[in-house]
Amino acid sequence: MVRDFLAKWKLSPRSDDRPDHVSSILVPFLIVTLALGVLVWRSYVLSERTERGVDTLAMQYAGYAAQISASRIDAAVGSEQSRASEEWQKVERRSPSSVELQKWIHDNDWIISALYVPDADPANAIYASELPRTAHTGARLTHDLYSSSGIVRYTYDPALLLARVQPALAHQPLVQAQGFKQEVQVAVIENPSTAGAVKAANGYAFIAPLNAPLSSYAVRGFVETGYGTSGWESARLISIMLSAFALLLLGLGAYLAMRGLAHEADTMKLRGALVANVSHELRTPLSMIRLGAETLKRGARLPEKQRHEIEDSILREVLHLSHLVENVLDVARMQNSSAKALAFTPVYPRDLLTSLVATYESWIRSRGFDVKLHLADAIDEQSWDRDAVSRAVLNLIDNAIKYSGDENKVIDVVLRQTEQSVIIEVSDRGIGIDAGDLAHIFEPYYRAQFSDTQTRRGAGLGLTLVQQIIASHGGTIEVESKPGSGSTFRLLFPRPQSHTTTSLAQLTPQTL
Amino acid sequence: MTVRLSHLLLAALVFITAAHADDRKMCTAPASECEKAIRQLSSGRRYLGAEIKELEPGIIIKAVIDDGPASRADLRPGDRLMSVNGHSTVEANIKDFKQILYSAKVTGVLWVIVLRQGILKKVDVRLEPYTKAQIDKMVAQHLAQAHGITNATAAAPQQ
Repeated sequence: MVRDFLAKWKLSPRSDDRPDHVSSILVPFLIVTLALGVLVWRSYVLSERTERGVDTLAMQYAGYAAQISASRIDAAVGSEQSRASEEWQKVERRSPSSVELQKWIHDNDWIISALYVPDADPANAIYASELPRTAHTGARLTHDLYSSSGIVRYTYDPALLLARVQPALAHQPLVQAQGFKQEVQVAVIENPSTAGAVKAANGYAFIAPLNAPLSSYAVRGFVETGYGTSGWESARLISIMLSAFALLLLGLGAYLAMRGLAHEADTMKLRGALVANVSHELRTPLSMIRLGAETLKRGARLPEKQRHEIEDSILREVLHLSHLVENVLDVARMQNSSAKALAFTPVYPRDLLTSLVATYESWIRSRGFDVKLHLADAIDEQSWDRDAVSRAVLNLIDNAIKYSGDENKVIDVVLRQTEQSVIIEVSDRGIGIDAGDLAHIFEPYYRAQFSDTQTRRGAGLGLTLVQQIIASHGGTIEVESKPGSGSTFRLLFPRPQSHTTTSLAQLTPQTL
Repeated sequence: MTVRLSHLLLAALVFITAAHADDRKMCTAPASECEKAIRQLSSGRRYLGAEIKELEPGIIIKAVIDDGPASRADLRPGDRLMSVNGHSTVEANIKDFKQILYSAKVTGVLWVIVLRQGILKKVDVRLEPYTKAQIDKMVAQHLAQAHGITNATAAAPQQ
């Protein structure tokens, strides 16, 4: 179904294979991406849920701790005050005096000053204080203590009272495992800006205000959640990062797979072309030979001229067949082991070309072509594989013959040299090569798309073989072509560096 | 034996007086601070102006200060408090009464039912703040006792 859908996107017959590969990679890629996306989404949801759970737990625990601590402190404050009042009642039953009051203040160090007003005579009051010498700026609270025989009014410092009841802040840890302790941090704060749950940057706080008289104070319970609510540790960011990373990996994998597969598919397609091409190429000469042989056998009384023609055609087809078979075999051999198959011997390029053209001149002429040799003099001996280079040049000549028109049946073979290389050029004045084909002509089994390709025989292996031969000689191949005015194939063989001998000569005295 | 005991008592008395003499300078704060604190503590706070005694059970007025809120409301010594601000005090003790007094400090009103010579009488007491004279006396007394300043006017607010 997807394939059908994708098939609609195929634009031209030329790009038939591409969308196929793309779809064969893209569909699994999309599926995996989808699966990964679902996983990421799911993990995101789960982690968010976990986070929410942890948050809730932290919030609740902070709240409980704060409220319990607050009520504990309230109770402690109340009991401290009632303890002080009980103490004073005891004193009062004896004779309340200035000394006793002073002592009472001193014992309860959070009380700063006290005024005892007896019911019997309000004017006969006692006052005692432990006012600090420096002016105190902190908050002061007063408390009325109604005793049995009068009233004690005392001023006290709430901070000191809180300090006195500080042990009430002891708390239980939330989690206590080996090497890990999650606990609530409880502290008394003054003038809280807000009450209730507060979300802090790295945890949750709960502010529980104290009751009167210390209502300007509150207990703040704080639980650190262990992860940030923003930054690298947030679930959202982790999910996004992970999915982005996974997608990146997927994309990379898909790209690599697509590249590999496209290459593989190209080769496969070319193999298919080979089967079609080669079988056609092999079958045609074979059927020609068979036809010729059968005619010869049956027709004993054929005219001499016709018999010759048949014999020639048989010979031609056999030659063509053997050429074809050798090409195929050579390509296979070169692909398997390029260097081993070659035997490098000293060769004079000039001799090589001359004898090659001499050998095949009759064949070339029989096709109506003329070979013009332009051979430069004084080209040194080269270390080449004679047969291989001959085959390369022959293949180029064969191509030139095949792809020339009917008019300019001239092939130029040029031998020259530059400082770096020995160059053999084979030029024709034929139909030339299309720019689109130029990039592919060295690929095995590739054949340019001509309207009349089928009339030109070949397996699409010639140039591959040429390129492999040149490459195994350490050289390169260049093509210049203009459709309609011919092509030039240029083989560049590297020249042995002449200065190596001189440098060797220079080196010898030094090394000795 | 008796002589010894009397000697001991005398020694104790001497000791106590000596201690009292020592305590005269016990207030570490400056006199002005003390005066300020006393005025702050006593000003605006309402008082009843009566001394309460505990019966078994019940509570009774022991003494009434002259020119105090209680005497103005016609509470008299020997009045038994039966109910204060709606709370029954028939079997209450002083602590309970003080509790009621404490809770009435905002409104400053006590509705009292007393039993006087076998008759129940309704008395409304309006608690009053300490008078200026009372406060001045408190200050003077403290200054004399803890700071050794006898002249109250000398320690007056101009310091």
